[in-house]
Amino acid sequence: MVRGFRSFHPIILLLYYLFAMAALMLYQHPMFLALATVAILLMNFMLDGGLELRKWRAMILIMAVLTLVLTPFFNQRGNHLLFYLFEKQVYLEAIWQGVMISLTLVCILTLFLTFNLVITPDKFVFLFSKIMPQWALLTMLSLRFVPLLRKRLLEIGDVQSIKGFSLKTGSVKGRAQSGMLFLQTLLTWSLEESIQTADSMTARGYGLGKRSKYQPYYMKKRDWLAFAFLLVSGSLVLFGWWLGDGVLTLLPVLEPVWLSGREWLYWILFFMMIGFPIWTEGKEMVKWKFLRRIG
Amino acid sequence: MEILATHRLSFTYPNATIPALKDISIQVKQGEFVVLCGPSGSGKSTLLRLFKPEIAPHGIKEGTLFFQGKPLQEVTPIVNAKELGMVFQDPENQIAMDNVLEELIFGMENLGFTTEQMRKKVAEMVNFFGLNPLLDKKIDELSGGQKQLLNLASILLLEPSVLLLDEPTAQLDPIAAKEFIHMLQRLNEEFGITIVIVEHRLEELFPIASRVILFDNGVLLHDTTPREMVKELGTHKTMKSFLPSSALLYLEFYKKAHAETIPLNVKETRQWLQGEHVEWDEPSEVSSAAAVPSPILELKEVDYQYSKNTPAVLYNLDLTIYEGEWLAIVGANGTGKSTLLKVIGGILKAQHGSMKYKGKKVRKWEPRKVSYLPQNPKLFFIQDTIRKEFEHLALKHGERNPEERIQNLLNKFGIAHLQNQHPYDLSGGELQKAALIGSLLVEPTILLIDEPTKGLDPESKRAFGELVATLVKEGLTVVMVTHDIEFSATYATRCSMLFQGKITVTENTRDFFHENTYYTTVLNRATRNSSAYPVVTLEEARRIWRVKSPF
Repeated sequence: MVRGFRSFHPIILLLYYLFAMAALMLYQHPMFLALATVAILLMNFMLDGGLELRKWRAMILIMAVLTLVLTPFFNQRGNHLLFYLFEKQVYLEAIWQGVMISLTLVCILTLFLTFNLVITPDKFVFLFSKIMPQWALLTMLSLRFVPLLRKRLLEIGDVQSIKGFSLKTGSVKGRAQSGMLFLQTLLTWSLEESIQTADSMTARGYGLGKRSKYQPYYMKKRDWLAFAFLLVSGSLVLFGWWLGDGVLTLLPVLEPVWLSGREWLYWILFFMMIGFPIWTEGKEMVKWKFLRRIG
Repeated sequence: MEILATHRLSFTYPNATIPALKDISIQVKQGEFVVLCGPSGSGKSTLLRLFKPEIAPHGIKEGTLFFQGKPLQEVTPIVNAKELGMVFQDPENQIAMDNVLEELIFGMENLGFTTEQMRKKVAEMVNFFGLNPLLDKKIDELSGGQKQLLNLASILLLEPSVLLLDEPTAQLDPIAAKEFIHMLQRLNEEFGITIVIVEHRLEELFPIASRVILFDNGVLLHDTTPREMVKELGTHKTMKSFLPSSALLYLEFYKKAHAETIPLNVKETRQWLQGEHVEWDEPSEVSSAAAVPSPILELKEVDYQYSKNTPAVLYNLDLTIYEGEWLAIVGANGTGKSTLLKVIGGILKAQHGSMKYKGKKVRKWEPRKVSYLPQNPKLFFIQDTIRKEFEHLALKHGERNPEERIQNLLNKFGIAHLQNQHPYDLSGGELQKAALIGSLLVEPTILLIDEPTKGLDPESKRAFGELVATLVKEGLTVVMVTHDIEFSATYATRCSMLFQGKITVTENTRDFFHENTYYTTVLNRATRNSSAYPVVTLEEARRIWRVKSPF
């Protein structure tokens, strides 16, 4: 979908991730965090059908369960004593805290999975070059070298293995010696070749004057709208935190977990902000479905 | 108008006693297509680089270079970078960025173009070059030919008035090379861009060049039109090998030809042959009574796949290699030629099929049986000097009397004076020979050669071909994969065509090329269905055509 969430200007996307991260860390309340978990999981499915999530699900689950179980075990403060485990008190407050920490973890990790899907390397370099143009260029140059060096090392290994120098067979000492020789060859060879790269860069005027940077992204009207939306909803969400509406008070007195009054308003606002990708991506999905039916 | 010129230019490298360029004065007019040729080390690349002061070699320079009538030192570096575009030999090493778009705009960014300008120019250029499908690709997904076109495109985005090219097609396969040269011809004819190209592959360049300049040992030998050049060089002993084969065929007939009648391509040769009456001796059938050589290596039903999800590169491949032959395996890019060689060499393990050496199944090669000469001979060396490399290798394989054998080989191949040099300081031809010595040191029975003629000048190519031919006569079996049709036709004893993962045909070299219509030598294309008996190589024409010179 060309006009989905991913098509926003990288700075808008970065802004969303900053706000979302902040909101997740500040809003320590099971009701808010549960909502965020649902929203972010949904977002994962919308962006790539949950492929990336499936790769990481075991690790995320293990971490979540571990924190959920271990927090009450270590946190010994509260008023509502539930039971004793291995001669240690287990408090209701500590259990709620465990729920909140593990939900925060799940949210942040799954949000980061979408970050990798949305902020692709070229967008990342673009953002990076805004801050440090020289370093961004260096990154681009080194990015080119990773596959190149890998390929070259493989080639060296292939040719040398017929000559009888191999990393796969022979004594450990012999293999280590061959390995060092291969790396040394890779280094001399690559240095030799990169002189040509330097020549070709110089021949195209590198280092002669101030470099300009191609801007593949520019702010469109919808980017400005998104910017305004994020700014307004983000500040409101921050304001709600400042009021204390999104934080579950554990001590000295445990607050009821179910929301009441004004808290519902902030709950909706929080959902609107965290769910920003769901609106933008979902709109496109609906459009596609609708269009296809006409066709 | 003169766009480039040199006046009494001499250049000497540091620590060198003989100058690399001696008293060179040339003028290149706007819109000309100039080819600089000559053996390796004759100073042509040095001359090209002197026009780009930022990358010019260090040394003592005398005389002046001019760009648009102005001495080069008065041209600002920015103007130089923009107006004189340079393409180098290795397609891979010239690329700085990791994706196509970034690479295209690299030069424009250096010169401070705005995003709008870049976008417009890239759009234009991508359409002209047909780079559309490649625009979002990573560099390592491109083929060599595509990389070189990308290099050319990224230079052209700066709108240079002169293109300087330093052996741009040396590392490309013949089809990609032809495409590249056609692109240069278009740029020259449709946009009037001045082109100065250093190249060894002259078959395609002679018909389109407006001038050819020949260097030898830093001296300008000739500066004239392609046809005049043929006439001048026709009698030269070594330089002759630079000429297109059709011109050489013509010179067999007319030793003192008129320049304007000399054919430079297939079409012209055919026209000339129409008006000619050629008599020939029916070639005597090679006596088939000769002892049938015994197979040394048999491959049966070999499959190879790089990974489970990619299509098979080799599929159900059968191949028999006989003792003492020189088998050339030809085929287009990506048909799996190099893969086949690696499977034979045991670098890659086939998923299916068997390989038998003298009737016995091969599990693991002993290094004494098979040796491998890689496409890039630099990879052969892991020591600082070539001699150390040989000693290291001999030690590894427990060779007796290695010193004597090394010296013998070094003398035999004529590179004994280079034995204490670093391998990277050798020229292409010398390095090729050094790697060949290394692979012969263990006295293998089979030698595998991958693409040996890449980047070699005609003279080194001939020297290499003859050297290997002697080794074959001495009993070595050679399996070579190559794109170089002319080289295979001249030296190989049998040829195989690899297609869709199988060997489709294997025949004696002569029959193989005789029966092919498209995949064959220039001379065969020129002489098939003509009034003369069709020949594959010049050597064959010399042997069976009864050439009567009217002069």
